[in-house]
Order: sequence, then structure tokens, then C-alpha cells
Amino acid sequence: MALLQRSFEIEARDFVRAGEASIEVQRILKTIGFDSERIRRASICAYESEMNVVMHGGDGEILLTLDPEKIILDVKDHGPGIEDVELALQEGYSTASLEDREMGFGAGMGLPNIKKNADSLEIHSDKVTGVHLKIVINVKEG
Amino acid sequence: MSKPPEDLKTPVYVEIDEDQCTGCVLCMKACPTKAIRVKDGRVARIEGICIDCGECVRTCTKGAIKATAPKGDDFTTSPDLVISPPTVLYSQFGEDYLPNDILLGLRKMGFGYVHDQSYTSEMCNFAVELYIKENRKKPNLLFPLISPACPVVVRLISFRFPSLLKHIPPLATPREIVAREAKKRLSAKNECSPEEIGVLHITPCPALADFAKQSVSQGDSPPMDKAVGINSIYESLKKNLQEIDDDMVLHHSSGIGIGWGMSGGEIAGMNRNCLAVSGLHEVIHYLEKIEMGLLQEVDYIECRICAEGCLGGPFTVADKYQAKHHLQKLVRMFGVERRIKYNYVIKLYKNGWFFTERDRTAFKDVASPLSIPDRIERLNRVQETLQLLPGKECGVCGSPDCPTFAEDVVDGKATLEDCIFFHNRKRKTSTRASR
Ligand SMILES: Nc1ncnc2c1ncn2[C@@H]1O[C@H](COP(=O)(O)OP(=O)(O)OP(=O)(O)O)[C@@H](O)[C@H]1O
Ligand code: SF4
Ligand SMILES: [Mg+2]
Repeated sequence: MALLQRSFEIEARDFVRAGEASIEVQRILKTIGFDSERIRRASICAYESEMNVVMHGGDGEILLTLDPEKIILDVKDHGPGIEDVELALQEGYSTASLEDREMGFGAGMGLPNIKKNADSLEIHSDKVTGVHLKIVINVKEG
Repeated sequence: MSKPPEDLKTPVYVEIDEDQCTGCVLCMKACPTKAIRVKDGRVARIEGICIDCGECVRTCTKGAIKATAPKGDDFTTSPDLVISPPTVLYSQFGEDYLPNDILLGLRKMGFGYVHDQSYTSEMCNFAVELYIKENRKKPNLLFPLISPACPVVVRLISFRFPSLLKHIPPLATPREIVAREAKKRLSAKNECSPEEIGVLHITPCPALADFAKQSVSQGDSPPMDKAVGINSIYESLKKNLQEIDDDMVLHHSSGIGIGWGMSGGEIAGMNRNCLAVSGLHEVIHYLEKIEMGLLQEVDYIECRICAEGCLGGPFTVADKYQAKHHLQKLVRMFGVERRIKYNYVIKLYKNGWFFTERDRTAFKDVASPLSIPDRIERLNRVQETLQLLPGKECGVCGSPDCPTFAEDVVDGKATLEDCIFFHNRKRKTSTRASR
């Protein structure tokens, strides 16, 4: 049962607005008053996945869903998909362009960071429909 | 649920003058924690969520909100009192007076023990470097470190970014160390306990005035400490500056120590990856970034609530940009090579001289005794209410913006009819219906 659902659009290659969707997610979680450690973890996941959509994906969205036990982030884009998910999850693996690297991205730490901070992470990737990350942060312990 | 620490309660020094207040919306819109409402044409504050940033004081064009010096702290000069001026004081009197003159001027005013903070600032500047070096590689320490220097930033963090409390290192600020050491030294001389020695802090802001009274750790007794704004001593000091007849040397620092109070002053001379951010909105923006895991490659970030750092403090007298220009000249004049004895500082560092205990309790949940599902439900209702509003963000309803008004409506603190657009729309539809 979803108690709350909000969606935030993300535009591909829009580096000016990049990060705003995650700030919105962060603000909502704060208004509700989750404990700060969970908010921090959720914000990191939101930010890293948003940046991946902006940088590697196509237009997309973050869908925030709260149910009594979980914070769920569905991050979807209509881009080219991830070629090798296994590889993409390795620290340091990145296909970022030189231009992206000049902006300070492309350390290949985004997905590993999401995995580290999420309680569960599912990655669905398809050449046609794009990438869908399902990130869950448990609200109740255990 | 944790109670807010004492220092997070509404301060006593922001005074609202009912006669001057016209009930405009400027301060209400400026408040970063949305603690102000306009009710019945007058400003009203919600208790408990003010962080002492002074934005309301700065934005009020009617002179209706004033930062007043803490109650009962009218100072009396005394030969037994330690006085500790902040380095920004050196920027307040223009070109004619050097730091040493200003310290002598304070002596001339009748203060027996005048302790400069700039030399200690220089030592602290190096101590931060040592701390970074010692801890950078530790896996469980969070970076960037956030400076503990501005008490409003610390409060903002406890209030809105509690997960960042762990980024604040347990390092004491120069003013804390100066007070502590002066007490130790003077108590040894007077054969009394350090608690019996009072320190008068001259401060650029009400927040520091408040802070002066709090625990300085290591066995000090804060109640003996008092604070007075730079503006309160300004005239008297200025007069005394013209009558200095002493040639004692009280100031020893280089430009690094002198510039400590201005934005960037704390990190100047540090051979690390550091940032200085000043101004309320910028600071909030950077804290949001840090909370999202950004800027981890930065070692240390100096955050000051006032634009241009403490030069912009509400109790300063000189224009902040002129003061900055003057201070920069002093920095050049005194040079940017630290004058400290490095080996000695390293020894002090190892002995814990620079460290202090900090209260890391978060300020949270004061407003909401609701359970998480109830809070989510509340947010949904706020969202529904917000959809009814015009999004003009005008503030005429008495709340700072439409989203906050929607919250106030849901919380029963306002009614939809307080919004003039809603009011009019309702009237229109009802006249149409009656036709
Ligand atoms: N939404 C996406 N669409 C297409 N490819 C993606 C997407 N997200 C990640 N990838 C691929 O996975 C790789 C690894 O992603 P990861 O976030 O770990 O590193 P990065 O984005 O390259 O660098 P960093 O996140 O450290 O700036 C990316 O370089 C890219 O090839
Ligand atoms: S920046 Fe300086 S003057 Fe301003 S609130 Fe912080 S400590 Fe006080
Ligand atoms: Mg990435």
C-alpha cells in the first residue's frame, strides 16, 4: 500500500537542472522527518541515479514511493540501456565521455555507491526501453 | 523524541518593535526556517525553530527588528576581566589603526587583560591541517569536514541537516581556546580556580554572544563569561584609540591570523583542498550537496552564515566590503607566512590542546509528535491543499509562501479563507450560483 507517491522528471544532458529532482526527494523525506541516516542514504541513491540518467540515459523520471515499511525510488529512463550490468556495478568502471569527466563525473563510483547505500537494488536494463533502477531503503529495521 | 538543546531555543536578543512593524512580509519571506508569520498586521514568531541567523534583522527596512545585545550584559571595564576581541575588530577602524593599536585601545578603555585571537587562530589554522592529515585516510570519518566556527551553521546543521553533525570535527575554535587559556593562566596567577575568572567576548553577532556562555569544555565554567557586541564598544574604543600612550606588544600574528574572521580566512594558508562558503542560502545549498554525498574530495569546508563571513555580522559597524578591503590590506602588510612555532604546535596538538567535546545532539521532531504514516498522510493533505492555492507566493495570507500556508491550513493554524485568491474565487462562484 503506497502512502505517498511523487514523480520528478529528469531531462537527458541538462546539467544545469541536474540534481534538482534528488533535492526534491531529499526535502520531502526531511519534511516527513525520517531519521537523518536514512535520508542521507536515500539522497545519495537518488542523486547518483539521477546523474546517471542525465549523463548516460535518456529523458526519465524519479518516482518516489513511500509505504509503511520502505522508501522506494524507481528511476527510469528511455536511453540506450546499460550494456553489461555486472561490469557497470564494478567500482571504477565508467563509459563517461571526456567532456563528462571534465565536469568531475565518470569515476565509476555511482552504481557501486547506490548498491552500498540501498537495502536492495534491482537493475532492469533493455536496449529498447532503457534502464530502470529499483532502489529500496527499509524504514523498519530487520 | 529528543528535546532541543538549550541553545536551540528561541533566542532572547531579537526584538520586534510593535510600533515600527507595519506587518509587511519581508522578514517572513526571508526566514530560512519559516519561523515567522504575519498575524493581524504584526509579525509573530513561532517559538523553537529560530536558528539566530539574523536574516530578519537584515531584511527589515523599517527598523522594527533589532538584534539586541544579550540581556544583562552591559559591560563594565575592569582590570580583572579578560577581554577577547575577535579578529574582525581589526577591520573596523580604517587605515589608521593596526591590530596592536586596537588591543592597546582596549587596555586604555580599562580592561586589564586583553587577549588577541589572531595568533591562536594561526595555530588553529595549522591544527586543522594536522587533523586532516591524521584522519584523511580513516575509513569511517566523513568528509568534507565542516568548520565549527560559526555557531549558526552548527545550529542549522543540528536543525536541518543532522546527518552532517558527524562532519564537524572535535576541534575548538580560537575564541574558545583563548578563553580557556586565559582563564588557566590568570587563575594560576590569582591563585583561584579558572571558574572564577570571567571573560568578556566582544562579538560580531548575537549568535556568538549566546555561544560565549556555553560550555567551552575542559573544566571551564561558562556563566562567568559575558559578551558584548562590537557596536556597543565601538564609540568608546574609537575615542580611546586616539589616546593610546602605551607601547606594549600585544599582537603577534601574521596576516593569516588577522584575516581569520573574513570569508576564506579560516582556510587561508592551508595547504589542503578547502572551500569557503558564506551567506545563508549558499551555505544551505552546500549542506544539501554534502548530504547527497558530494564534495567528498574536499577536506575542509568553512561555512559562515553571514555574507563575507564575520565581517558581515549584525553587530559589526564598518561596511563589510570596506572592512574586507581594509583587512586584505592588513593581511598583505603582515604577510601570509604563519609566525607560529611549528614543533610547539605539533606538541600541543598531540596533547589535545586544540580539542573539545561537542554536543552532537540533533534538534528534531519538535514540531511533530506524529508517527511516520501520520506525517505522510499530513503531507498528502498539504499537497491536496496546495493544489487549491494559486501559487502566487504573495504572503498576504500571513504565511511565507503557498506550501507553508498549505501546511498551516492542514495543521489548523490558518484557514483557506486567509488566502485572498481563494477568498475571491469562492465569492465569485457563490455570486454565480446565486444568479
Ligand atoms: N541510466 C543509464 N543508462 C545507460 N548507461 C548507464 C546508466 N547508468 C549507468 N550506466 C553505465 O554504467 C556505468 C557505470 O555507472 P556509474 O554510475 O557507476 O559510473 P559513472 O556514472 O560512469 O561515473 P560516476 O557515477 O562516478 O560519476 C556508466 O559509465 C555507464 O556506462
Ligand atoms: S558568520 Fe560570523 S558573525 Fe555571522 S553568524 Fe557566523 S559567527 Fe556570527
Ligand atoms: Mg554515475
